[in-house]
Amino acid sequence: MSMKIKLVGWLALGLAAAAVALYAAVGCDLNDPDRDVKRLFPESTSYKTLYVSIAKKGGEPLLRKVESRLGDTFKGLYETADVPYTMYQIFRGEELIGYIHGVNQKGQYGGIQVFLALDTKGVIRGFYFQKLTSKAAKLFREPAFGAQFVGLSLKDFEAYDVVTGTEDPPGRVGRIKNPDPGSESDFRAALRGAKKNLILVDEFLLGSPGAAELKSPSSIQLGVQP
Amino acid sequence: MKKISLFQVAYKNLLRKKTRSILTLVGIGLAGWVLVSLFGFNQGYEASLNRDIDNLGFQMLVIAKGCPYEAATLMLKGGTGLKYLKEDVVGLVAREPEVEGVTPMLMQVVFDPNKGESGGFSAFLGVDPKTFPTLKGTLKFHTGGWFTESEAAEAVFGYEAAELEQREVGDSYLIPEKNVEVKVVGVLERTGTQDDGTIFLPFRTVQRVFGISNELTGIGIKVRKEADIAKFEEKMYALPDVQVVSLAQVKTTIMNLVGTARVLVFSIAVIAILIAMMGVVNTILMSVMERRQEIGILKSMGAQALDIFKLVWLETVILCLAGGAVGSVLAVGTAKLTDVLVRNLLPYAPSGGLVQINVRLVLVTLGVVTLIGLLSGIYPSWRAGRLRPLDAIRSEVES
Repeated sequence: MSMKIKLVGWLALGLAAAAVALYAAVGCDLNDPDRDVKRLFPESTSYKTLYVSIAKKGGEPLLRKVESRLGDTFKGLYETADVPYTMYQIFRGEELIGYIHGVNQKGQYGGIQVFLALDTKGVIRGFYFQKLTSKAAKLFREPAFGAQFVGLSLKDFEAYDVVTGTEDPPGRVGRIKNPDPGSESDFRAALRGAKKNLILVDEFLLGSPGAAELKSPSSIQLGVQP
Repeated sequence: MKKISLFQVAYKNLLRKKTRSILTLVGIGLAGWVLVSLFGFNQGYEASLNRDIDNLGFQMLVIAKGCPYEAATLMLKGGTGLKYLKEDVVGLVAREPEVEGVTPMLMQVVFDPNKGESGGFSAFLGVDPKTFPTLKGTLKFHTGGWFTESEAAEAVFGYEAAELEQREVGDSYLIPEKNVEVKVVGVLERTGTQDDGTIFLPFRTVQRVFGISNELTGIGIKVRKEADIAKFEEKMYALPDVQVVSLAQVKTTIMNLVGTARVLVFSIAVIAILIAMMGVVNTILMSVMERRQEIGILKSMGAQALDIFKLVWLETVILCLAGGAVGSVLAVGTAKLTDVLVRNLLPYAPSGGLVQINVRLVLVTLGVVTLIGLLSGIYPSWRAGRLRPLDAIRSEVES
């Protein structure tokens, strides 16, 4: 068999592999954790990766609790209790300085991945769309939009109703401006994603009794900053 | 007086030096483990590759000359790097008597700046709603179905693509860069192949959205079973400016690539088996030397050379059979781990299990290991059988 044919055959299957690689990440991991952690926490020296799902950590009761705190049920084919969540604990030396966590959220025209960088108390210090399919994607990815989330915590989102998109009594979340009124559903999806993200971090890392269990070595992978 | 069998005597002899017997058994076990895993990989890899190729639905792909499917080109240049075939080629191919079915395909790639920190690519495969579903009969829908019209603004998502885009039947999807909306009409079942990550559109729709007229990036061909694929391939090369990729060639190419790795592992297995054989010979020979007096007494009591030969030979066989069984259990228990390791080492690994271990394979391996045991046992058994009783007893007393 000539080298040319071999090459073409090889490349045809290379394409197949590449097609898979384009869509390989079905969870919500950082695309390049070393680079992204350094960007979101420039002072960090290392990070640990924790893998967890609602199904494994609390099952149906935890799912109900999360839905109740969210004020909405988990919907559709892909928002289920067995979705694997990847949580990053960020360190400066030995000191824990924060967390990064992302969630998949259904948008009007495609998937949205909402990542939050949080301090150890759960206050947002960075908001980031890792992936966004929207007609107003450019506007949503403007730094000014993400900056509106900085300083907010789960407490601020408690009064925000993800179903109606309103906040009662009006508060800081309600003051977040939609950069494109024509993309209201994507705007609401971003806020729902942020609230769900904060609840999951609270359940798994900050507030709930189950959070301590996550620190078991079996669920941890260590990453060292280059 | 209770009569004991030859097997029991052999078994008890082995237990007299437990550590030595266990270490020998571990050596044989490890060799058996490598052997079972290797044979399991041998049949698993080929079966998975065949399944992947069968799932493609066609045995031959006609593309434009110049490697338009080169993954690097797609990644670097997106749609602009692709080379095209004229649509007329479909008709020319279809009229050949060897052809059972053809399906035109048009792949396009767009850069999506909103994917990741610095953007990413999204690929779309335009297919013919009439012929593609027939040729890809193995595809099953999780929800929904194929396109309603040949030029419909509709999409069918592979399972993982749908999961990433969070799309369900009835949802809209926006093609990045083009800002064109399509409706999701189907989500495929997970197949474990590249189809899982693919977004399918009618190829006419892809032509319209991307401004391409009468051109394709590939034609899938299903050849009749009785046809001579090699001859047909030659015929296809007569078409102007086409490159023919026969999936049989692809398979051979991959098997050749994998074959290099396989030869290496086979060599390691042979070395492991030789070491294990030497270990067996050494163990049994030492055991014979230590029992010279005992063998001498047995012979002076009337035991024939053949009886001693059988006894020692049986010890070897027991060791090898037990080692083979340990190796088989190890191989079955670590098959998944081996699968992961092999998958990471190989340049291309098909979907599905790469290591397939079944009862037949285990039995064959046990047979091979037992044969090795029988061969290894010949020399020590022969030495034991030809010992002279008086010499044996005297040498032991002298020592």
